Amino acid sequence: MESVQPVARLRTRSTRARANSVLGWVRERAATTPGRLTLISVLVLVGALCFGVFATTAERSRAAAAEAARGSTEPLLVQAVTLYTSLSDANATATTTFLKGGLEPPARRLRYVQDLRLASDSLARLTREAGSSSAAGTAVRTITEQLPVYSGLVESARADNRQLLPVGAAYLRQASALLTGTILPEADHLYAIEAQRLSGDYGTGTAAAPLVVIALVACLAVGLLVVTLRYVARISRRILNVPILLATVLLAALSIWVIVAMLGEQNSLASARRASDSAEVLSATQVLLSRAQSDQSLTLVNRGSDETDPPDFRRVMGVLAAPGGLIGEAASLANQDGLGASASHLESYFAAYRAEAAQVSSFEGAGQIGSAINLASSPSSTAISDRLSGTLAGQTGTAQRRFNHAAADATSSISGLSIAIPVLTIVAAGLALLGLRQRLQEYR
Amino acid sequence: MRRAIASLLLVGLAGALLAACGSTSDHAERLTLAALGTKLPSTSPAPPPSPEAPCGDVTASLRPDAVMPAPGAMPAGSFMARIERRGYLVAGVDQNTLLFAYLNPQNGQLEGFEIDILRDLANAIFGNKPGDIRFKAITTAERIPAVQNGTVDVVADAVTITCDRRKQVDFSTVYYDAGQKLLVPANSPIRSYRDLSGKRVCATIGSTSIKTLTEKAPRSIPYPVQQRTDCLVALQQGLVDAVTSDDSILLGFKAQDPYTKIVGTSFAAEPYGMAISKAHPDFVRFVNGVLAAMRADGTWRAIYSRWLGKVSPAIPAPPTAHYLG
Repeated sequence: MESVQPVARLRTRSTRARANSVLGWVRERAATTPGRLTLISVLVLVGALCFGVFATTAERSRAAAAEAARGSTEPLLVQAVTLYTSLSDANATATTTFLKGGLEPPARRLRYVQDLRLASDSLARLTREAGSSSAAGTAVRTITEQLPVYSGLVESARADNRQLLPVGAAYLRQASALLTGTILPEADHLYAIEAQRLSGDYGTGTAAAPLVVIALVACLAVGLLVVTLRYVARISRRILNVPILLATVLLAALSIWVIVAMLGEQNSLASARRASDSAEVLSATQVLLSRAQSDQSLTLVNRGSDETDPPDFRRVMGVLAAPGGLIGEAASLANQDGLGASASHLESYFAAYRAEAAQVSSFEGAGQIGSAINLASSPSSTAISDRLSGTLAGQTGTAQRRFNHAAADATSSISGLSIAIPVLTIVAAGLALLGLRQRLQEYR
Repeated sequence: MRRAIASLLLVGLAGALLAACGSTSDHAERLTLAALGTKLPSTSPAPPPSPEAPCGDVTASLRPDAVMPAPGAMPAGSFMARIERRGYLVAGVDQNTLLFAYLNPQNGQLEGFEIDILRDLANAIFGNKPGDIRFKAITTAERIPAVQNGTVDVVADAVTITCDRRKQVDFSTVYYDAGQKLLVPANSPIRSYRDLSGKRVCATIGSTSIKTLTEKAPRSIPYPVQQRTDCLVALQQGLVDAVTSDDSILLGFKAQDPYTKIVGTSFAAEPYGMAISKAHPDFVRFVNGVLAAMRADGTWRAIYSRWLGKVSPAIPAPPTAHYLG
């Protein structure tokens, strides 16, 4: 230990000596006017460098976030949502159509098939692009494995149903249980993963801290140039040094551009988020409506011996209808987006759906299963739920288009900055140094 | 100069404040995730039937009156008269048991052995009046409570008469002598419950069948399911080697799948009786009178042959009525 101490002391001494020498160099320079000009040149260079680095870093991270949101995370979220909604709708369609027995309307069959096709397309895209994350990969794999099993069970149920075999109901029950118990939770998982990633991009793209830092660094850099301008004017007894003035104006203009562009990007991204949030709420509403439909159909298919679907139906309707529930939220979103008509449609269609569902439940509760099935599978009932899901899908589409516009605005509002920041910062620094050099040469 | 720097700094701060305004919240995301995450209700399996104290002749019921009232002329003050005033009998039934009580999706009508017995009962009250019976679909768990709280007048839904249940409701005489048997694939070597060692056997959660199975074939592997027909799916998918249940239910399964057979002598007797509230002994006597007539005049056999004749060609004798006292 004793041998170490002198070494440490020596090191401290040498560091101190070096610091002293730097300080000495600065003091030496500060004593004379040309020395001071050299010091100022160094400071201007450091200031410009700081500004350039901060501004470029912030611009890069924001541009990357906005671009990711527009080009990859949001589209993936849309795929995850499409997977979720189309699978839910497929099950709702399969279960309600089952009530029709062998006389299933071709349009319903087509809808089921299209739902499965949509789900498969989304799954294929998610497989390609979500493969990087292992959690998403597992979810995608489980869905890919189980989806054919699901459709196989649905087909068995249909075949038995056409022959009036009650075991068809058991196959349908098993299919639905596989979907709601295994497949949809994985879809939910995928959705949560993609939603979180998008949320992360929004967070980075609209973070206030980098903008505050840029604003402060820009102020300091421009302030330094103003001080330099005044100092040079005083020692040279000339009113203005043109290159330094140009540098000051240039840097100030660039700073304002950067801040204004980033604020624009931030606002656009915030409205992009509002749009994609609307789309998410609307899609979740669709998913829950499908679940309510499946629950009610299965209750009827199971004919009074069902202890899980009726409580789930009540719970889901609660989530939809409660004050601040999804229907209310979706309607208020539509109002905010200036789609007042759509909002009132949504509420009136949902009220109609709810009234009809209550009627079906009361038939079912009274043991009049035949009447309940007739009402639930009647064309008017199908029309109500189709209108409801159509309105939701239309609103989702509008929100999606709004997202695309806003996200494109966000990326385009900062698009010039990636070149402008380094080039203009270098030009400004160059001009300032040029101005200082002119003065410095007068002393040689 | 200082003022200039200060104003520049102020501009910067204003910009920073503006920047903070544009930040977003994740309210919608949380709302959406919470809504989508609405949990499925968990199903708690029914508790296994507990051992019960013996109660003498479990199937003994109240003796019918010597003279039965004529249809449409029920004695004043009786429960039947109340049903008559109402205009229809309310019967709790299953809708899922093919051949016994099943809602035919093609015509929307309930049909089967139990349904016909109940229709005959309604006819004995009203005489062939249209709309004299209303069926109420009930779950297995609802069978006893529905009788106790008066939701239905009578339940004919594969209710096995047991000593425990007799403490809660009254039973009619036996209208069907069911027994626990096995359903296996047509090429299966299984002949009786003695061959079940190491085999997977499907039964409904909470049923008496699953309890009897563990007693009679302790080395079998039970495969419990929520609903009866799930067992037929499990058998068709090769997930189980056999299904155990009352033969009444197995007959319905066999009718749906010709590649199966019912084997074994019944390893537990399951006498079915109609459940009636303890508050209406007069109705119990009346129902027993109707059943006695059905046994005597060949109606019982006719109903049996209409529904079960195809899958069980040998028509048995109607179950014997046992009376109290």
